[in-house]
Amino acid sequence: MFNFKRPRHKLNKANENDLRLSDLKPGEKGRIIEIGGSENFRHRLIEMGITRDAEICVDKYAPLRDPMELIVKGYHLSLRGMDAQKIAVERLA
Amino acid sequence: MNFDIAVAGNPNCGKTTIFNALTGAKQRVGNWPGVTVEKKSGHYNYSDLKFDVIDLPGTYSLAAFSAEETVVRQYLENDEADVVVNIIDASNLERNLFLTTQLIELGKPLVIVLNMMDMAQEKGLQIDADTLATLLGAPVVPVIGRTGEGIDLLKEKIFRVSTEVSNKARLIDIAYPRDIEVEIENLSQLIRKNDITDKHTRWTAIKLLESDKQTRDEVRAHSNELDILNQAKVSIDRIEGLFKDTGRAVLSHARYGFIQGALRECVVETVVDSVDHSRQIDRILTNRWLGLPIFGLFMWLMFKLTYDLGSIPMDWIDTGLVALMNFISGLLPDSMFASLLVDGVIGGVGAIAVFLPNIFILFFIIAVLEDTGYMARVAFIMDRIMHNIGLHGKAFIPMIMGFGCNVPAIMGTRILESRRDRILTVLINPFMSCSARLPVYVLVAGAFFPDNAATVIFSMYILGIVVAIASGKLFSQTILKGMSKPFVLELPPYQRPTLRSLSLHTWERGYLFIQKMGTVILVGSVIIWVLGYFPTDVEVDRNYSSEKNILVSHYDSQLVDLESKLNMSIEKDRLEYHSEMVEYESSASYLELYQQFQILKEALASERSRELYSLRQQEIGDITEQKWIGRVGKVFEPIVRPLGFTWRESVALITGFVAKEIVVSTYGVLFGVGEDVDEGSQGVISGLRSSGMTPLVALSFLVFTLLYTPCLATVAAIKRETGTWAYTFFSIGYSLALAYTLAFLVAYFGGKFNWLS
Repeated sequence: MFNFKRPRHKLNKANENDLRLSDLKPGEKGRIIEIGGSENFRHRLIEMGITRDAEICVDKYAPLRDPMELIVKGYHLSLRGMDAQKIAVERLA
Repeated sequence: MNFDIAVAGNPNCGKTTIFNALTGAKQRVGNWPGVTVEKKSGHYNYSDLKFDVIDLPGTYSLAAFSAEETVVRQYLENDEADVVVNIIDASNLERNLFLTTQLIELGKPLVIVLNMMDMAQEKGLQIDADTLATLLGAPVVPVIGRTGEGIDLLKEKIFRVSTEVSNKARLIDIAYPRDIEVEIENLSQLIRKNDITDKHTRWTAIKLLESDKQTRDEVRAHSNELDILNQAKVSIDRIEGLFKDTGRAVLSHARYGFIQGALRECVVETVVDSVDHSRQIDRILTNRWLGLPIFGLFMWLMFKLTYDLGSIPMDWIDTGLVALMNFISGLLPDSMFASLLVDGVIGGVGAIAVFLPNIFILFFIIAVLEDTGYMARVAFIMDRIMHNIGLHGKAFIPMIMGFGCNVPAIMGTRILESRRDRILTVLINPFMSCSARLPVYVLVAGAFFPDNAATVIFSMYILGIVVAIASGKLFSQTILKGMSKPFVLELPPYQRPTLRSLSLHTWERGYLFIQKMGTVILVGSVIIWVLGYFPTDVEVDRNYSSEKNILVSHYDSQLVDLESKLNMSIEKDRLEYHSEMVEYESSASYLELYQQFQILKEALASERSRELYSLRQQEIGDITEQKWIGRVGKVFEPIVRPLGFTWRESVALITGFVAKEIVVSTYGVLFGVGEDVDEGSQGVISGLRSSGMTPLVALSFLVFTLLYTPCLATVAAIKRETGTWAYTFFSIGYSLALAYTLAFLVAYFGGKFNWLS
């Protein structure tokens, strides 16, 4: 699958082995557990509706495998894999 | 009496459509002071009152994260907007309402517009506008911006809210969890007690809890600031301890909590089996396999249309200009003034005016790509590539626009969020080969590589892209270190664009180009004319008129010889002719002989005009060499000699600084082609060939033209967008050095390894 050659981003609370948004395959849904990264990044994402407990769906990946297209709060949003890796999720059936 | 109305909303919420519907064509586009964010304003009248409307840039929040957000926030906090009109995409309520919660806290009278009601209905959303109005404490007007439905009601509501005095009291507060409310109250009391701000107290308190830098700086400017800042610190610590997150994140989550609560009360979602059209379209347009080829196809179509469709009105303008020149030449006696008007002004500006159709078509297509929502997909598709040079996918858009003209392209870098990204994109943009460079390529490649002209021209474009990418990589690792802003890009639903907004967008940008023609290019053309016209008393060593006489009499005598030869042959042939049936003058043998001589005569005539023309060009060359323009060229000749250039190239390149297409018209002047210079002109081509330029030098000249200092208008745009002379001079110096180096490498290695010979 989508493999980044960089160390996994460290989150504050989430377990290192938690599932990340970047691990989800197209069509899969997740619930957001925690958002890592810089303050500015986190705040921007939260303001854009990527809030804790929000449902998020991976719609597809771009033709060159990055970035990814997500559906959250009923609208479409695009994030890079390296940023999606900073978001811990749990997979929803 | 007039009122100031500010229109605010998320990007892609149809804000500009509503603004256009309110103000009609009475709009002005300018800049917000100090920053390069577009400021659009207009006005309308309602019941004898004038309403001045400002279209604020689209933002998701008032966090001062980007230049746009800073502008919006500063305007709303400080300026006297009487009413804020908040446009909301009804089909995307939840996220759009986030900004609304902040606008409510700002405490300005508010009118909320539920735009795109039709799309919400298609999605199966039934929105109870009255309940929403009660919950938000502000009137809510449902409209469909695209059709104009509901605009009259909106004007009425704006009128009512503007004229109501007691409006402020009607706003409600966004209710936060109790623990947060306690801290807001603690801070508010202190703020009220010290009376330090004329802004909404609650807004200031909340911004302090969010550790907002701007608000902290403002508070710091007052006495007793320590009390407040200390209280803020205590409050933040308490909130962070309780919620295990930053104050800003906690408040943002609470806002979304409020929104979700409100939506539960006023939105009924029915399951409809309508299809998500945008998603269907994206299945193809951003498809893993088809996405890139389709994007390539669109780009190809864009250029095809720009050039092919543009060439039709281009011919009309050309014809019109020639007619105008002839008309003025006929009207005025041959004088300095006539020459200034015809050769200087009309010739110079006209050479650029012919590109107007291309530019307008390009801007129109770009407006279509933007208004439909495809531009966001371009960023989505291209981000991977742009990320390589440390840029955002959106930065690809100004890069493409650079193929048209670098000036609007550089202005287009405003779509980028971070200053670093904008400066980087601005600096590499001039290497994208703009349409003004094309005439130079066509001319020079046509003269020296007639069989491979298209390949040569295409490789110039490719070289430009390669240099842009390499420079981007270099800059992002040296002078502009740092990561680009995180890539958080909304992919808005596809929209059918309205002709009105397309033409408005096209006109706004095209008008800038017309402005450039009327100012920079006009002045540049006149300067070049002056340099080429003076001094008027130029002495040439060679006696051209006697040489011309010798040439003329030489050809005259040749012609006489030919005539007498013909007559002799005919007489001889007639004697040998014996048929009684046909008269000699109608015989096949006579006709054949006559035709043979006719061909010889024509060959002689064309040789004669060629020789005379070449002599005339040499004379003009000699004269121009002594004009100021030639003297300037001579001064710089030693510098460019290693590249194989002569004084002519140095003149052409200097004048090309005004606008690169002027390189062509300068050659026209240098070779005395006169008014009818166009890029296919045989006169310039023969002049170039006879000037001693070799194909290798031509190639090195093309490379230099592509890369060297962008034109004056572009330099002005760079200054405006980067805001500093430092980057402007850096851009000039860098491109000049790069052009010189690469052109030298072409000339040197080409000569060494005998390319092109």
